[in-house]
Amino acid sequence: MNLERLPNEEKLSLCRKYYLGGFAFLPFLWLVNVVWFFREAFVKPAYTEQLQIKTYVKRSAFGLLLWVAVLTTWITIFQHFRAEWGEVGDYLSFTIPLGIP
Amino acid sequence: MDLLSNKWIVNVLICCFFIGVGCNSVEKKIYVHLNYTVPCVRLLNATHQIGCQSSLSGNVGVLHVLESEDNLDWVLSKGPNPPYLVILEAALFTRSIMMKLKNGSNRVAGVAVVAPNTNPTEPFSPYTTCPNENTGVYTEKYDPAYAHCNVTVWNPLGNGLAYEEFDFPIFSLKDDNDTQVIRQCFLDHNQVVNGSAPQYPLCAMQLYSHMSAVTDTATCMRRNDINFSISPEGVCDPLGDSNVWASSRPINTTQKGHKNSENVIIAAARLDSRSFFFDIAPGAQSSVTGFVSLLAAAHALRNATQEAPPNRTILYTFFQGETFDYIGSSRMVYDMENNQFAVDLDNVHSVLEVGQVGLRSDSQLWLHSDPVSRRNSSVNDEVRKLIENLQVASKDLNVTVNQPQASQPLPPSSFQRFLRARPIPGIVIEDHQSVFTNRYYESMYDNAEYLNISYPSNLTADEQLEHITETATALTEVATMVARALYIQAGGEESRLPSITAEARLVTRMLYSLLIKSNNSWFQEIIPSEFMSRLTEKPTNFYVGVANWQSSEPTFLVQYLLANLTGTVVNVTKEDCQHQREDDKDKESHHLYHYMWVQGSVPPNGTQRESFCVRSTVHLSKALSPAFDPLKEYTSTEYSTWTESRWKTIKGRIFLVASHELEMLTLGVGVGVLVTSLLLTYLISSKADILFSSGREPTNATY
Repeated sequence: MNLERLPNEEKLSLCRKYYLGGFAFLPFLWLVNVVWFFREAFVKPAYTEQLQIKTYVKRSAFGLLLWVAVLTTWITIFQHFRAEWGEVGDYLSFTIPLGIP
Repeated sequence: MDLLSNKWIVNVLICCFFIGVGCNSVEKKIYVHLNYTVPCVRLLNATHQIGCQSSLSGNVGVLHVLESEDNLDWVLSKGPNPPYLVILEAALFTRSIMMKLKNGSNRVAGVAVVAPNTNPTEPFSPYTTCPNENTGVYTEKYDPAYAHCNVTVWNPLGNGLAYEEFDFPIFSLKDDNDTQVIRQCFLDHNQVVNGSAPQYPLCAMQLYSHMSAVTDTATCMRRNDINFSISPEGVCDPLGDSNVWASSRPINTTQKGHKNSENVIIAAARLDSRSFFFDIAPGAQSSVTGFVSLLAAAHALRNATQEAPPNRTILYTFFQGETFDYIGSSRMVYDMENNQFAVDLDNVHSVLEVGQVGLRSDSQLWLHSDPVSRRNSSVNDEVRKLIENLQVASKDLNVTVNQPQASQPLPPSSFQRFLRARPIPGIVIEDHQSVFTNRYYESMYDNAEYLNISYPSNLTADEQLEHITETATALTEVATMVARALYIQAGGEESRLPSITAEARLVTRMLYSLLIKSNNSWFQEIIPSEFMSRLTEKPTNFYVGVANWQSSEPTFLVQYLLANLTGTVVNVTKEDCQHQREDDKDKESHHLYHYMWVQGSVPPNGTQRESFCVRSTVHLSKALSPAFDPLKEYTSTEYSTWTESRWKTIKGRIFLVASHELEMLTLGVGVGVLVTSLLLTYLISSKADILFSSGREPTNATY
C-alpha cells in the first residue's frame, strides 16, 4: 500500500490500528508503525491529523524500546545462567544444545 | 553466431558434469580416512561425567608423534603450530602424560593411542584402585574400619584414567597400515629437526567424537524426557543388559516371590568388563576365567543333579554390568526383595562366587569371606561349613584352598550386594590372597595372551578350538572343585563326588570362543540359525553397553552356552520348540523351562545340519539398575546411576594443512576477485548504452 495515495484521515486510522494492535504483545507492529509513519509524522509539512500521528508514532517507539530492553536483558540473563539453573533452565528451553551444559 | 554460443553452453554443461562427478575423488585426494578407530566415549553418573569428547565439527590438530615424556614440552609450550594431535605409543599412555595433556588442553586437539599387537611388560590398569568403592557392602554405616578399601587396596596398579574427564577426543588405533601411513606423514612433513619448526604444509588429523549428553545422569535423563522441541532426541541411555541364570531343578518363573519348598545356593560369577576405550574389553582374567569355571562346573553337575538331586537347588547366576557399581546383582537383590524374582532372599541359603581364578600361583585358591557378618555366630557356622565343603571338594585335585587372614574384607564381588541386603553366608573364590594378581585389571591387555592362551601356529581354526591349553587344564581343576563343593553344599552325597568332573575339552572350547573368536564350528552348532550373524571373528567385547531390545554379545553367548551345558535334548518338533511347549496340549512347561531350537552339526556323510530342541532352565532377568526403573532416582547413592552418552559420528582422517598466511591469502584473493567482478559488472551495466549501442537494434517494446 502506498501511503502517498491515502487520504489523511485513513492514514491516521491506520496508524492508530497499528498502535493499538501493538498492545497485544506484538512489538513488531510498533516497529512497522514507527518505520512506516516516521516520514508522515516528522518530515512531511504539517496537516491536521499529523499531530495525532506523531503521538502514536512516539508512543509506538517508546513501547518498542521498552520491549527491546526487556528482551535483551532477559536473553542475556537466560543465556548466561541457563546451565546454572539446571532443571528450570532445561524446562525454559525450546531446543537444548547437545554436548554442552 | 548462434551455433557457436550453443556449443559453448554444451561445453560448460559437460564441464559442470565432470566437476560434479570428480568431487568425490577430490575429497579422496585430500583426506585419508582411518579404518579402525575405537573412541573413548562419555559416561555419566549421579555426580560426574567421564570420558572424552570432540567439538561438533571434529577436533583438528597438527600431528605430533610423541617419542618420550621429555618430548611433551614441544606439544605443551614450545611448538609453534598448536593445537597438536598427539600420537602415543602404548608405553607412553600413562597417567602422568595424560594428565599433563589434560591440563594443557588448549594446545591439545586430541590423542590417538597406537594399541600394540603384543602386551607391554609394564602393568597397566586404567581402573580405580578401589573398584566400586561406594556401592559395595563396606560403607561407613556397615563398618567404618572397612570403608573405602581401608584394609586392602584391591587394585593398587589402577591409575584411574578410565574415570577421568577429557575435553578432547582420545582414539585407539590398531598397529597396522593406517598407523604406518600416519607415521610416514609425520616423518615427511612434521618432523622436528634440531629443534627448528617444520615447514608448511603440515600433516594434520581430525577426530570426530561429539557426545550429546553432558554434566550428569540427572541432567541427561531429564533432557531425554523433554519432548518440547521440534525434533526430540535422546541424549543418553542407562547402562544395563540382562543377567543369565539357570537352576539345577526347574523353578516356576511365572510365580514370583517366596517359594516355601525352595532352598537355593547361589553360584555366581560376573559377566562384564571394560577398558579405557569403548569397544575393546577382553576381560580375560577379570571376568572370563570366573564365569567359564562356573559354566564348566554347571556342566559337570548336570548328570549328578539329575540322577541324585541334592535337597537344595543350585542357582547359577551370571551378573551383567558389575563393573559399573554392580548393576546386575543389585537389580537381582532388588527384585528378590520386592517379589519380582522367582525366589526371594529368604530362599537363599548361601552364596558361592567365582571371581578371578586364571592366575593361580602354586595352584592356590583363596576363599574370601566377610569378617563383619561372620561376627554373628550362626552366619559364621554356615561360612565355616561352606569352607569345609570347599576343602573336601579340593581333595584329590591340583588345587589348594586357603583362607586369607580373618580381618580382611571381601574383594569387589557381586556377593557384596547380597550382604548389603542381609547377612547371608557366602564365600568368594579368588586366585589372590589380598591385592589382585591381575596386572591389567579392566584394561585392553587383559586378553588371551595375558592368560598364556596360545596355539601352535600350524593348527587350523578347528584344531585350535580342540587344542587343550594349560590355562584350560588349570581352569578345569577349579571348575571341578567348584562343582563338587556346590554338590555337597546343596546336600548331595559325598560318595558321588569322584563322578563329578569338569571337561578340559569344554573349557578350552569356551576360552577359544570367548577370547579368540566366537564364530567357530562348535558355537555354530549350539545356537539357532537366526543368530548366526551375531558370532564374530574378534575376541568378545565384554563392555556391558546400554540396555536395549537385543541382549549384548556376552549375554547372548553365555545364555546359549549355559543352556547347552545344563539343558537336555528333547524330542520335540521345531514348531513346539519355538512355541515353548512339549506338545500342542502343553501349557505348563514354559513356566519352568526354556526351549531353544539349535542348529546342530552336519553329520559326516550329510550336507544338512541336524537341528534339535534343547530344554533348559536358563532364563534372562533384567540387569538394569533400580535407580532407573522403577525408582527413577537419578542421584541415587544406593544403586548404579551410570549412563552412556549418545553420539552421531565417530571417525578420524588425516590430511595436509597449509599455513595460516597462505589460507588467508587464498581467501583474500577470492574476496578480491569477487569485489572486482561486482564492480566490473556494475560499470558495464551502467555504461551498457555506450558499450553495446552499435551491435543492437533499439527495442521498441513498451512495458
